Amino acid sequence: MKRSFSWISCLLVLSFLLAACGGGGGSHLDKIKQAGVIKVGTSADYPPFEYVDENGHKTGFDIELMEEIGKQLGVKVEWVDMPFDSLIAGVQEGKIDASISAFNYTAERDKVVDFTDPYLTAEDAFLVADGFSGTISKPEDVANYKVGVQTGTTQDDWLTNVLKIPESNLFRYDRADQVAMDLKNGRIDVMMADYIPAKALAEKIGGLKIILKTVVSSGPMNIVIPDGDKELATAINDILKKLKDNGFIDNLATKYFTPQ
Amino acid sequence: MVSKFFSYIVQGTAVTVEVTLIALPFGLMIGLIFALLYNYGGKWSTRLTGLYSLLMRGVPPIVLLFILYFFLSGQFINLTPFWAGSLALGIISSAYQMEILRGALQAVGGGQMTAARAIGMNRMQALRYIIIPQAIRLAIPPWSNEVSIVLKDSSLVYALGVPEILRRAQQLSATTQQPFLAFGAAALIYFALVFLANRGLDYLAQKTRLPAYNP
Repeated sequence: MKRSFSWISCLLVLSFLLAACGGGGGSHLDKIKQAGVIKVGTSADYPPFEYVDENGHKTGFDIELMEEIGKQLGVKVEWVDMPFDSLIAGVQEGKIDASISAFNYTAERDKVVDFTDPYLTAEDAFLVADGFSGTISKPEDVANYKVGVQTGTTQDDWLTNVLKIPESNLFRYDRADQVAMDLKNGRIDVMMADYIPAKALAEKIGGLKIILKTVVSSGPMNIVIPDGDKELATAINDILKKLKDNGFIDNLATKYFTPQ
Repeated sequence: MVSKFFSYIVQGTAVTVEVTLIALPFGLMIGLIFALLYNYGGKWSTRLTGLYSLLMRGVPPIVLLFILYFFLSGQFINLTPFWAGSLALGIISSAYQMEILRGALQAVGGGQMTAARAIGMNRMQALRYIIIPQAIRLAIPPWSNEVSIVLKDSSLVYALGVPEILRRAQQLSATTQQPFLAFGAAALIYFALVFLANRGLDYLAQKTRLPAYNP
């Protein structure tokens, strides 16, 4: 019995030791600058926006952009890799300072977090396998097919709430690459995703093509920050403007979005 | 390429093992106390611990992880994702370990308690010197089951942003589009870990076997 008591006290002591600073005054931005670190959440399974390269380093358009923003803020970026649908909760509950993960603005998300100015404009793509015989001439046509989508994305939102596709025709997946694999295997007919990663997936996997490119669900991409954090928004927006003006963002886009 | 793959995923092994090494003893500690309370604690502790076991086995582990990390942590105590995940898995596991130990305690039988009391031991002494040592031995085989389960459930901590084996495999699968290779490597590591743990426990069961229980 003695043994169990020492275990309890060990755990208690450890959890108190681990309890991070917290408390104290000052704004969120002050705290970030004081710590010298901004904790940024991302879901590193979405090339070319955020992914892990062959050496195991996080890289991609969003990653490099955020690293640059961190540099200009004078802080180090600490990456926290989470599933896409945990990210908003992470920002909302203050577990991470911000999140960059190809987020589009939606009114639903805006209720619980804030968005910075857009850094890139996204389009939607509908992907099919090469042998696809149906017709999709406008976005609404997909309602007649089995459509795959990544859970929690703006495309998921559009299919569910705007198009109101029958549940039996909607297939939700954790990650975009799983949707593409199932499309190739013929379990679904159409995949809906952001245009740039969809194109990258089609090239990488092969046997897939983009049948329609449009803008229905997506649009500008923004960095997600805590609700009402005006100071952080201003700081990041100023930097984003600078990076747009000096061509940094254009160069990044050329680097990551031009097919090799 | 393949070796790079493997070494990237292997780096997650430390996290998986650490989470398991926290969750299992934590669960064992609570599980043992609650199993004793259930069997020997009287009507109300039987009810309460029974309810605890029912609740914790009924809640999906991921839900408890989210509750502990996103809602409780920060309000009362600040837990890192790693600790929130490990403790949540430990709590879930405690309910299963409680059931394992409860079964083992019952298997030792009431007659031994009566006999121990008859030779002048009090209840605590009887538990400590007669009942528990036998029950723990009986619990080893089913307990090795729980070890494999906790080891594999430890992948859930990824939902809080802790990169363990499975998450690393997912990342590589997304980058290279070679899911078979990535998840195959993950499966191999899990298998090796479970194999080692189970073999170790088999050995422990052999070593600590009581002559009276020789089948």
